[in-house]
Amino acid sequence: MISLGLIPLFPLLGCIILGAIAVISSGSKKGPAEGFVGTLAVMFPALSFAGVALLALNMPEGGIRETLCTWIDIPMFRAEIGFLFDGLSRIMLLFVTGIGSLIALYSIGYMHGDRGFARYFAYINLFLFSMIVLVLSDNLLLTFLGWEGVGLCSYLLIGFWNKDLNNCKAANKAFIVNRVGDIGFILGMLCLVTIGGAAILNYDVLANFISMVINGNHVELVVPFLSVAGILFFIGCTGKSAQIPLLTWLPDAMAGPTPVSALIHAATMVTSGVYLLARLGSMFAILPVVLDIIVIVGMLTAFWAAVAGLFQNDIKKVLAYSTISQLGYMFMASGVCAFDASIFHVFTHAFFKAALFLGAGAVIHALAGEQDMRKMGGLIKKTPVTACVMIFAFLAIVGFPGFAGFWSKDLILEKIFMNCSMAIPGFTLFGHEIATIPLNGFVYAVGLATAVITAVYMGRLIILTFFGSYRGSKESEEHIHEAPAVMLIPMVVLAFGAVFAGYLWADSIGIKYFAETLAPVVGAAQAYNAPAVAAHLNPVIFAVLGTIAALLGMYIAYKIYANARIPAAKGSSAPEGGKATWTFLFDSLHKYVGIIPVNVLAWICDVVVDKILAAIQWTIGAIASILGDGAASFQVRKVRLQVAFSILGLIALLAIVLLTGGTL
Amino acid sequence: MLALIYFIVLSIIAVGSAVCVLLSRHPLYGALSLVVSMVSLAGIYGLLGSPFLGVVQIMVYAGAIMMLLTFVIMVLNGARDSHTPMFDKVSLFVIPAVIVLAGLVGFALVRAPIAFDAATVRGSVAITSKTLFDVAQTGPGYFVLFEVLGVLLLSAMGAAVLLAKKRLGSVDSEKTEGKH
Amino acid sequence: MELQAIYVQILALVIFAIGLMVAVSRRNVFFVLMGVELALNAVNLSFVGFSKTLPNDMSIVGQVVPLFTIAVAAAEACVGLAMVILIFRNRESVDADTYSNMKG
Repeated sequence: MISLGLIPLFPLLGCIILGAIAVISSGSKKGPAEGFVGTLAVMFPALSFAGVALLALNMPEGGIRETLCTWIDIPMFRAEIGFLFDGLSRIMLLFVTGIGSLIALYSIGYMHGDRGFARYFAYINLFLFSMIVLVLSDNLLLTFLGWEGVGLCSYLLIGFWNKDLNNCKAANKAFIVNRVGDIGFILGMLCLVTIGGAAILNYDVLANFISMVINGNHVELVVPFLSVAGILFFIGCTGKSAQIPLLTWLPDAMAGPTPVSALIHAATMVTSGVYLLARLGSMFAILPVVLDIIVIVGMLTAFWAAVAGLFQNDIKKVLAYSTISQLGYMFMASGVCAFDASIFHVFTHAFFKAALFLGAGAVIHALAGEQDMRKMGGLIKKTPVTACVMIFAFLAIVGFPGFAGFWSKDLILEKIFMNCSMAIPGFTLFGHEIATIPLNGFVYAVGLATAVITAVYMGRLIILTFFGSYRGSKESEEHIHEAPAVMLIPMVVLAFGAVFAGYLWADSIGIKYFAETLAPVVGAAQAYNAPAVAAHLNPVIFAVLGTIAALLGMYIAYKIYANARIPAAKGSSAPEGGKATWTFLFDSLHKYVGIIPVNVLAWICDVVVDKILAAIQWTIGAIASILGDGAASFQVRKVRLQVAFSILGLIALLAIVLLTGGTL
Repeated sequence: MLALIYFIVLSIIAVGSAVCVLLSRHPLYGALSLVVSMVSLAGIYGLLGSPFLGVVQIMVYAGAIMMLLTFVIMVLNGARDSHTPMFDKVSLFVIPAVIVLAGLVGFALVRAPIAFDAATVRGSVAITSKTLFDVAQTGPGYFVLFEVLGVLLLSAMGAAVLLAKKRLGSVDSEKTEGKH
Repeated sequence: MELQAIYVQILALVIFAIGLMVAVSRRNVFFVLMGVELALNAVNLSFVGFSKTLPNDMSIVGQVVPLFTIAVAAAEACVGLAMVILIFRNRESVDADTYSNMKG
């Protein structure tokens, strides 16, 4: 039985060793030996994965708990470093460490020849350490440590090629927008501490607290307070998982190397928001208002991002908006208290999105840096393996029957329809009684429409990239080559995952293995919010509807883009006109709501407050000067005058002594 | 009774000549008024049972110190300076201030109960010298102080000579040498 | 009416006050020295006056201490006049205000 503390320890060691190598070799011109560094870099995450697999095989039903040491111990507050390995963290850890190792392997090929080779892998290992801590911890404070750590590593890795100012700006944007979300996280923690003391930050204690509240029928008492905490935590999740309104950083984060986008912005970091919701599921289960908000936000985000994905010309940006849209699905599932469905979609999404990103990376590598889809085309003949991987992943993401996305996405849509209890309450209008209008059908319809649009833009991506004739320049066509083996192997493994991972919970066939592993963790929360009367709908209906949506989208994409004449790409790959307005909608929102007021405030501080403070300082200085001059004026040039002052002082002294009766 | 009359007369002379010092124009007049004041004070000492001290006062103070002062006034031709005004703004401020000071102190003094003791011994030369040269120090030890006083006077004399001496061969000495 | 102790003290106070006035309010440097001598005399008088209020063995103090005071006054007058001569050589004036070099 290995200790839980070893799992985060391996990547941490890797980070330190690789960081040391990077610093030591920073003086030399060529950098460290790539083979040696690459081996180390993959070894540590692989060791972590091995540890997780060992633990996962024999995990008891209740999970393994281990407390490492006491972190903070002051009279007001006590926190410990402890680890919790139950069904939820087992799933998350398996794919975090597994996909992390695969992407580290891929990066050896992708980053070949880059001067910052060792530094890159140090950051990757630091990221894996933070993510493992986030998932493995047993209390909110340690989760927050990991939360911040992944944010930091996201910043470091997005701005990896830091000679280019745009990359640095993108990294700043990611970090700062995440920070705004983190305020919500911290305030949420404080809210909880106010209710239950510092010990409530531990997940087990929180679950006990909630069950106690439910059993004692005190739910109405704590709901207001916990609603505030829930909304604050959700704000933190929107920051980390790129939902409305804190999603503007994710498209810009594509400035980093493609493996980084695959690891961080597709598979692991952005899913930590969903993970947090699942962890705190028992708390969210008793907060109907917050759950409704989560559903609405998820729905709007999914739809908006899907439409924005249609307007992009850069291959990575399309995938970025796709990620935001899929995260919207996961939040919708969490909002109807179907936490196991959302985690299942996290699981399958990790595989096919990472495969898509790695494939895009291989395409970019083949075209020596070209990312604009309008200059691609017909690559299926030149890079067949990459094309295969991407097509499998494409089928998974649109929900083609049999692939992973089919099982997870349709499960989500089914749960939305069955469990969503949002409704417009009944009211009277012009004397007519209007009954309560249930909204689950509306939300389901929006989800289905988003699925169609997903199929359209993903189809567009595949067609523009791999089919048709090549639209780039002649000399670049000569250099197109398939990616090296070290890059292909992870892609193929992930493609396998994209195909077969969904079978862990093939609801229609009856395999419910995934749900069973998660049941101990989220079962109570889901049971609390289960619909009173289970509608008797055959789940096959949802599967059929999902398939129709996917096929419809693919057909539309084929019709529009297959033989269309793509206008020659001029200028940058950014969208223009109306498309730009839609794409940068939230950037404008940030600008008008946040940046401009802050600038105004800063100007006021600089011009007004600064002057006031300077005036106050000047006044104090002037008072001191005047007092000093006044005191100095008692020092005179003439001795006689000085003696005269002394006589004056003597008189004063005598007067005081006499007045106080001589007993001074 | 008689003592009181003698005291009043002597005190009037003392105070009057002190005021004359204050108001005199020429430093020599002031010096001479000062001598008169000191002599009358010597008389008061004798009245109060310290005749030895009175005589010492006349010999040293009135005789030596004032003589020295008069000598220097004459050497430096103190009367030549007619620009120096007698009183100025500072004096205007000081004189009332000192009066107030004296008033306060007097007020405090008057409330203190002091009275002459009948058993006071009359300070003759014999007794004084016995106290001063009391090597065995049976009383408060004035012997050492007395000897130190001698050293002090010697050093003051040396310092004065050193300070006031003209440097041989300096411009000043050439000038005065030449004038003669 | 007998001669009382307090009369002596009052006389000493008056002479001291006049001496202080002379010392501070006259600009001629000789007057300053004369004022100081007057004040010292007043102090001696005060000592003698107080010693008469003391019994036998302590009352000799009133003669001894003024003796020392007179000696010190002599030394001080000597050195002070030497300094006056020295400064007079530089500035050619006996105005005490011209002797002030302190920074204001």
